[in-house]
Amino acid sequence: MRDNCEEKARNTLESRQGCLVKRFYLRWMILMTIFGSISILGAVRYFQEVRTISPKTLLSIQPKETVRLMGMIDAGSFMKATENEPFRFDLSGEGGKVAVTYTGEDPDGLLRELKTIVVIGNWESGDGEFQAKEIALVPNYGFITSAYIFSLVPLAFFLFYMERRVALLYVMIKDEKVYQPETGQ
Amino acid sequence: MVATRFIGWLRKYEKWFGLTATVLISAGLYTGLVTSSPDYYQGEVVRIMYVHVPFAQTAMLAYSTLFLCSIWYLWKKEAVVDNACHAAAGLSLFFTAGGLITGSIWGKPTWNAWWVWDPRLTSFAIMFLTLVGYLMLRTFLDDKEKKATFSAILAIIGFVDLPIIHFSVEWWRSLHQPLSVSNRGVSIAPDMLVPFTLMSIGVGILFSYMLMVRTQMLYLEHLLEAKQGRLLNEGQL
Amino acid sequence: MHFFRVIRWIAWKDLLSEYRNRENISSMFFFALNVILIFSFSFSLDSETIKEIMPGIIWVAFGFTAIIGLGKSFLIEVNNDCMEYFQTLPIPKGAIYLGKFLGNLLFMLTVEIVLFPLFVLFFNLDMIDQFLQLLLISTVATIGLSALGTLFSALTVQIRAREVMFPILLLPLSVPIFIGAVEATRGVLNADAFSLYSHWIELLVVFDVIFVIVSFWIFEFILDY
Repeated sequence: MRDNCEEKARNTLESRQGCLVKRFYLRWMILMTIFGSISILGAVRYFQEVRTISPKTLLSIQPKETVRLMGMIDAGSFMKATENEPFRFDLSGEGGKVAVTYTGEDPDGLLRELKTIVVIGNWESGDGEFQAKEIALVPNYGFITSAYIFSLVPLAFFLFYMERRVALLYVMIKDEKVYQPETGQ
Repeated sequence: MVATRFIGWLRKYEKWFGLTATVLISAGLYTGLVTSSPDYYQGEVVRIMYVHVPFAQTAMLAYSTLFLCSIWYLWKKEAVVDNACHAAAGLSLFFTAGGLITGSIWGKPTWNAWWVWDPRLTSFAIMFLTLVGYLMLRTFLDDKEKKATFSAILAIIGFVDLPIIHFSVEWWRSLHQPLSVSNRGVSIAPDMLVPFTLMSIGVGILFSYMLMVRTQMLYLEHLLEAKQGRLLNEGQL
Repeated sequence: MHFFRVIRWIAWKDLLSEYRNRENISSMFFFALNVILIFSFSFSLDSETIKEIMPGIIWVAFGFTAIIGLGKSFLIEVNNDCMEYFQTLPIPKGAIYLGKFLGNLLFMLTVEIVLFPLFVLFFNLDMIDQFLQLLLISTVATIGLSALGTLFSALTVQIRAREVMFPILLLPLSVPIFIGAVEATRGVLNADAFSLYSHWIELLVVFDVIFVIVSFWIFEFILDY
């Protein structure tokens, strides 16, 4: 790779330093593209699978497809499931209120009054009821995003400046006319 | 010239390490952030594990490297080994800080506190302080050989101390608060194991790559300083 | 026997010079007294809280005392150009370390033994019955502190920011000493059975053994420069 740069410098007027610097920035652009597309894929996944809507939004858009609805179980509205009756409770959030029925089990005790949860299911506009098929924890994507940003972004900057410094130092030492790195036979 | 050959060797092979690390980390991030399923108890927050645990492991790896380099330096007294020590210390500090920050962010949703005096967290905080002390000691010493020897001694003492610190904090914690809080309740499912392994190995290899780059950087800085100093003296004469 | 004579002479030299000018011990002692004074204002000291925070106060005071006293341990050698002398002497270098370590240990123990009655006096503690246990705890903890402190004093004595660097290096690495000593002292103040806190003393003994040996071995490299 490096020899290629030297040849170029010999054949054309372009300096070897310029060639190396160009290659260095090209490499970092490729890296940024890879990691940028991964984060875009993550964001897409978030909007498709993890994003939740509030009861108020649900009432205003009246969606037909399966949605994730997040809200707090109202005090006094919670009714435990019996043998032929599902869980019944009201979810409220952002000023809206939706009645929810959930047919299924609650093994971890997620469902209790004044608890914020996510229910996944369909809005039956005819009955005015949200039929939940699943319940889930509240997604904390802010924490995940900040953890990744606080670790990987400094890592990238650290590595970038380190590599640039090394490339610069090799050039500077070459200019000092004392050190000839004899590598890559 | 052992040092020149060593630096040449680093320069020749570093790209393979960099390439492997890039492939492994991008695969790990893809599986970790996009395809793997959330944890049953913790939900989506468990994805922090794929960056926190590799960072913490790599911090330990870096500190062990610093320890081995320090012993090697005291044995052989090669200046380039001291550059590797210095590089490993800087990287260890970086990864320790990263591990502490991501651990703190993970602690908020799982423990409902930014910081708990968990043995592992406390040991890492003390390791962080020791590394800061190491780098400060280096900046305050002027003579090159003295700097290298004294910091190597400090690194060895600190490494020997780490397990004792860990055990004493563990005992202390078990006395004052039940240890159950340190169990984050992650039982690793197979599709979580894939990104976890990829990221662990990837960040480890990335550390070797960064170590190679940083060793070269410190070596070249010293070399340039020496050459410039000599030229300056010649100019004065 | 040569080895032990070196240890004895170096410790003897330190004690003698200390006996003549009393600089070190008096500064450590009055510093610790000031720390106690400040602490007694900082906390509301009724008899219940005293038992909770007293071990911490005692060991913070002793830790600061160690920083004051041990940090200057090698300063006298540098000021009198004795470091070069140590380097050229045909004696085992580890013996010099052990001699300095022994001298420091004796200074610190003296200060601690004088301070304990003052703690009893000022804070109305009743720990006279358990004086032997306290002596044991402070001895094992002080061995660890002065083992690390002597080594770091030799490391930092020749650098510019000596006063800052010494505690920065010493304190994080002596965390096990403080944990062990504070917990064991708490056991004593609560008048617990010895077996309830003896594991902390074992921890301190393990720390002492490891660090006296490691420092003894590694000290040779310090004196090379």
